[in-house]
Amino acid sequence: MTKKTTGSGANPVEARYYDRLPDKKIRCRLCPHECRVADLERGSCGVRENRDGTYYTLVYGNPCSMNVDPIEKKPMFHFHPGETAFSLATAGCNFVCRFCQNWEISQKRPEQVKSVPLSPDQAIDAALRSGCRVVAHTYTEPVVFYEYMLACAEAGKKRGVTNIMISNGFIQKDPMIELCRHLGAVKIDLKAFTDKFYREQCAGRLQPVLDTLVLICRQKVWLEIVVLVIPTLNDSDKEIEQMSDWIVKELGPDVPLHFSRFHPTFQIRNIPPTPPQTLMQARKIAMDRGVKFVYVGNLISDAEHTYCPHCGKTVISRVMYSIDKSGLAGNRCRHCQTIIPGVFS
Amino acid sequence: MNRRQFSEKIVEAAFMGTAAVRNIFGSEKPDPVVAGSRSSKLVRVNDDVDAAAAREALDRGLIVVTGKSTTVAAWKSLFREDETVGIKLSCVPGIRLSTSRGLVAAICAGLQSAGVKAQRIVVWDRTRRELDRAGFPVNRDGIRYRGTDEYPGWGYSDQVEVFRTIGSCFSLIVKEVDALINVPVLKDHDITGISGGMKNLYGAIHNPNKYHGNNGDPYIADLNTHPIIRGKLRLTICDASRVQIHHGPAFSGRWARDWGGVFLSRDPAALDRVGWEIIETLRSREKLPSLRDEDRQPRYIQSAAESGLGTADLAAIRLVGLKGVLE
Repeated sequence: MTKKTTGSGANPVEARYYDRLPDKKIRCRLCPHECRVADLERGSCGVRENRDGTYYTLVYGNPCSMNVDPIEKKPMFHFHPGETAFSLATAGCNFVCRFCQNWEISQKRPEQVKSVPLSPDQAIDAALRSGCRVVAHTYTEPVVFYEYMLACAEAGKKRGVTNIMISNGFIQKDPMIELCRHLGAVKIDLKAFTDKFYREQCAGRLQPVLDTLVLICRQKVWLEIVVLVIPTLNDSDKEIEQMSDWIVKELGPDVPLHFSRFHPTFQIRNIPPTPPQTLMQARKIAMDRGVKFVYVGNLISDAEHTYCPHCGKTVISRVMYSIDKSGLAGNRCRHCQTIIPGVFS
Repeated sequence: MNRRQFSEKIVEAAFMGTAAVRNIFGSEKPDPVVAGSRSSKLVRVNDDVDAAAAREALDRGLIVVTGKSTTVAAWKSLFREDETVGIKLSCVPGIRLSTSRGLVAAICAGLQSAGVKAQRIVVWDRTRRELDRAGFPVNRDGIRYRGTDEYPGWGYSDQVEVFRTIGSCFSLIVKEVDALINVPVLKDHDITGISGGMKNLYGAIHNPNKYHGNNGDPYIADLNTHPIIRGKLRLTICDASRVQIHHGPAFSGRWARDWGGVFLSRDPAALDRVGWEIIETLRSREKLPSLRDEDRQPRYIQSAAESGLGTADLAAIRLVGLKGVLE
């Protein structure tokens, strides 16, 4: 069942995508957890609550984090490079990643963090006031504030502001299709390429994320993928090979792939930061397997630049969040006129 | 004991102080004794049980589980006069299926009989809203009734405490008190099989919603093994005056049964094992499929036993005062 949302600010708003069950229970249909939730209980995300048999989102219009970030920080390298994104998040996540860098908001309930009322229209106002033509739903897991993100995307569309989602991709098909109609781009964190990792390190599952990646591509929404490489947990050559092969086969070679450096945090503090050579090795494997645009993140290196896959020259150079796109003419390599896939201003 | 288990024991010892040091080289499992009563006086009237009847049942059970000869001695063997005692309720389903006020009054009276001052008793649950819905006031007779959300910062510690599969911030009430009495209501739970004592302590952490996967196994066991809980939990008293035998944990009138019982133990695994069996017995009488048939048997009870929390083998549990209830 889908329901229209009403209201804004800190008031609970009826959630979309859930089924009513006997005894005032509900089954959430937003993410693949499909939580069955009894009256006055919440789903795994901690931000959706059953009240007398009606399911509510408690975070609609209630962001707990807002910042203006370079879009490269998402990271998003082929989508309006050099733009800034008005970035917002509410509390909550449908995963429990043991390496989460934002656990202080993602693993909390809305009442456990400081939030401010901000309706979708006000979010677009704030973005425009900040000089941003992009709103990024990020930091925590936007799937859990689906209704708010969707309303922001709809409001932004009317006013020339593009909305993007930075997500774990753990969402069901129908809500994702609806969302794709309104989003400009999506970045998915592919946490690893084994179900074991997803289950043991994230309290999630791999296959639904792969399904989402394919779905986004088919919906023709710009997609980039990030893999946080954690020593000993998801950094084997074999796993990177399998992942790269799958990406090329199912998504195509043009989807940018970012290998990011892990730093100890939250529940994983006993593993050292990823060695640079591990990231470079992962990049080499992915490129050898046919992925055309492979980057290394959280590390200053030449692997931050975009190279033309035809002539090999630099089309966009980056040092952290500072960029030079003089090698790009429109959406083509200035040197050989090859089209560089992406959405370029 | 392997290296991992040894490391965990060291962590436990750091949390629990000298008493736990003994546990490093040999666990001290509580005696697997579960004592209880059933009586028409323990059936709810107007959603509450008679406090005097509850006190009588409680006193009788305490003498059994502590081995003391008087009720005062029994209470004193568990709680010192200078300790602050937290009484964890189960209030989520509202007044019809929450911990009954009469039983809580009886527990408070028992503690006070052992010299624990009213000001040192904190009756608590997750939120003020839940306490209100269950009929508990803000204060009564000097005893504090508190939701964790009534504490600054929504009442959870800033620090995430990681132990085995659990990574959570604990209620400041758990941090504040010296000892805990857990007072759950016996309920069927459509995910974890049953909600008894150990599951009720999900109300002590900020993120219980994260630990319902795999029927709560081993999360419920790991939470209860967490030194912060294990080091403070002295007694579990299960309110079975009304039992939800199906479609729990929310109240469903069609499947709630006025069972008129209270049972208690120092062994949280044994208490839950008995609770599970009571629910299976009641379900069987009503031709409902067993929890095993529905593949939601509470496996976490066995995990808890394997963690050294207590005993899950029904044959090894000494059940006193509930003769015939499992037949």
